Amino acid sequence: MISTILNQYKATASVVGLLAIIILLEVFQVRDAIYPSLLPAFEWIKYSTPIGVIGTTYGSIYATVEAMHLVSMATIGGLVLATDLRLLGVVLKDVPSEVLVNGTYKTFKIALIVAVLTGIFCAAGVADKVYYMQVFWIKMAVLAAGSGFMIFIKQPALSGTPHGELNPWSIRLMAITSILIWFTVAATGRWIGFS
Amino acid sequence: MMSKLKNLGDKELAAITAGSVILFGIVSHWVIEIISTVELLELAYGSFKLFNNPLAF
Repeated sequence: MISTILNQYKATASVVGLLAIIILLEVFQVRDAIYPSLLPAFEWIKYSTPIGVIGTTYGSIYATVEAMHLVSMATIGGLVLATDLRLLGVVLKDVPSEVLVNGTYKTFKIALIVAVLTGIFCAAGVADKVYYMQVFWIKMAVLAAGSGFMIFIKQPALSGTPHGELNPWSIRLMAITSILIWFTVAATGRWIGFS
Repeated sequence: MMSKLKNLGDKELAAITAGSVILFGIVSHWVIEIISTVELLELAYGSFKLFNNPLAF
């Protein structure tokens, strides 16, 4: 009985299992136990790796990579807004939402890879500073959850089925969640820069 | 209600579950940030009013 349900709802069971693991890790304070041991790694990234040394030594290179980071984030933001506002029925109503969801995904993945790689470079230059910033860890958590949601949850749910066959409230929930995820990633990113 | 739930596919149900949890987490985060900002302003200036921050002038 249970195995039949698990086979029928593999994706849902995976999500529930992942949530259970996260809750257990928090209950047993694994995050708090690991946190102090991460400081040497952050200091090593800043002072002993090429990206850390370049990031702290050459302002022009840092600025160029940071500009690439901002452009990739802007690309993600544009694609997300176009797709999700279409799913909400706000913009581009004459374009089928399936076309937008499938057409923007490849560019989204490329922009996400560029954003992550340039983000690692930008963080390496100030690694010993961001380590102590709560907002940095919030951004990382939202980025990880958001990337996982987009790649493993939202895209498979929206690309395999005509949107007319899905519950409209499921589509709205996915669109609003997606917009809020990337809004939070952008806002916390600027917060790191402001701090 | 049950028939509507039965019509939900696995991927759609996973999206609803994950979406709800993430949405709740993000909205909670921003609400907590607003509350802590208001409390900080009240601590600094006695009461919270818009534009009572001297840095704004």
